[in-house]
Amino acid sequence: MIEFKDAAVVAPDSGVPILEPTSLRLTERHISIIGANGGGKSTLVRLINGLVLPSEGSVEVEGLDVARHGPKVRRIVGFLFTDPSAQLIMPTAIEDVMLSLRRTIDKKDERADAALAALEEIGLGDRADVSVNALSGGQRQLLALAGVLAVTPRILIADEPTTLLDLRWRAHVGSLLRSLPVQLIEVTHDLDSAARAERTLVIDDGGVAFDGSPIEAVAFYRDLMFGRVSRRPSA
Amino acid sequence: MISMLGLYRPRSTPLHAAPAWFKVLLLVTLAITTVLVSDPVTSVGIMCACVLLLASTEPPAKATLYAMLGTLAVAGLSSGLHVWRGDYARAIDVAADLIGIVALALAVTCSTSMAAMLDFVSAVARPIRFLLPPETLGLMFALMLRALPEVARLYLESRMAARARGLDRSVRAVVFPTTTRSVGFALQLGQALHARGIAEEARERRRSRRAAPPGQPSRRRRRGRAGAAVGPREGVVPPASSMSREDAFALLAGHASDARPRDPARSQP
Repeated sequence: MIEFKDAAVVAPDSGVPILEPTSLRLTERHISIIGANGGGKSTLVRLINGLVLPSEGSVEVEGLDVARHGPKVRRIVGFLFTDPSAQLIMPTAIEDVMLSLRRTIDKKDERADAALAALEEIGLGDRADVSVNALSGGQRQLLALAGVLAVTPRILIADEPTTLLDLRWRAHVGSLLRSLPVQLIEVTHDLDSAARAERTLVIDDGGVAFDGSPIEAVAFYRDLMFGRVSRRPSA
Repeated sequence: MISMLGLYRPRSTPLHAAPAWFKVLLLVTLAITTVLVSDPVTSVGIMCACVLLLASTEPPAKATLYAMLGTLAVAGLSSGLHVWRGDYARAIDVAADLIGIVALALAVTCSTSMAAMLDFVSAVARPIRFLLPPETLGLMFALMLRALPEVARLYLESRMAARARGLDRSVRAVVFPTTTRSVGFALQLGQALHARGIAEEARERRRSRRAAPPGQPSRRRRRGRAGAAVGPREGVVPPASSMSREDAFALLAGHASDARPRDPARSQP
């Protein structure tokens, strides 16, 4: 379970509020987060694994305070970024998965076997020794996901994971994420994907503008974007 | 653009089978020898041996050719200067030295995976582990190599964008976006490292080794065989939804066969 306790984020230099004090309990298996660009969606999810620390209040993951137990929390929470290029560190696919496995498998041979098996299972076996620069966008996102899943997280945060992908890869990566037996927190601009969640948050202007069922949330978001409603406190 | 990082190909050549430390030692030894020896015959002999070694690794032709052509151009310029001064022996020596060292460096690059090099750098850095965790140093090395093609890509994109705006000759229109986007990439990469907990792992290992009481093995040794650390973490009860790596990849496999695009391993969006 993820719990926000009046967590707020303020820009350190200017003092401008990025996220207003927010209290949430995220217990559902699939939660989607939608909202306009610059509204604070990424800041909200980055609080969950300590990429951003709250200026006020606290965030707890499975009872662990993120600010105090960052490394432990990051073993529980995997994070998938929008641009997989920035997430891939090693020059080839197999070496990147092996880098993730360094945490759990000490022997190099065993690590290589496990990484190759993982790549074969996601359909990238024949690309194992190919430079990550030579992979397509969809393949890179799958590789990034393989690197995250290799360390068996229980919560997966996906920050606009399909934004840079074409329709085919978007559908593939989206359905794959939804089927994983982890708690999935998905930030997305894809309203169809958002509507498939169990709960949806609409983030606007640094706060939670709506928190409820996906169908209602998407309708509210459309109205909000076209100026038919104004922001209201969370339901 | 041809990335030098894509030179490595898994092969079964003798140089591929050789350990990374041996190859690096060979490179350093030969580099020092070629600098110290000024006999053109010896230099040409070493150069031939290095080129043969490079050929034995079956390198990717196009990338190797580009790298060698650039080296030949520099070698031609350097030896041309000596020829102009009438020092023919020195001209041959300089050109052979340069070509030999670059050929051997390419041979090492073509036959050594990044993981092997990372392990080697980590092992070499062990004596200074009190200053810097070896894993972190190895990671820094990998990140440096990772950044090179990315910065080159950003430069090319910035140059194209400048051209599209009719700013072909403006250095500022290319340098500024390249610099700012490079910094942005570095920040993203840093966040990704943080999110994957990679550098933290090195720090934690160092802490746990320090914390191990005298006479007792470190946490890493106590943990024993590979993979023993996988599983429920201290103080955290795994929920019912907790999955093993095998479960996760079995699911991925199911999707790869059922729902993936026609041929995701080859399709190019």
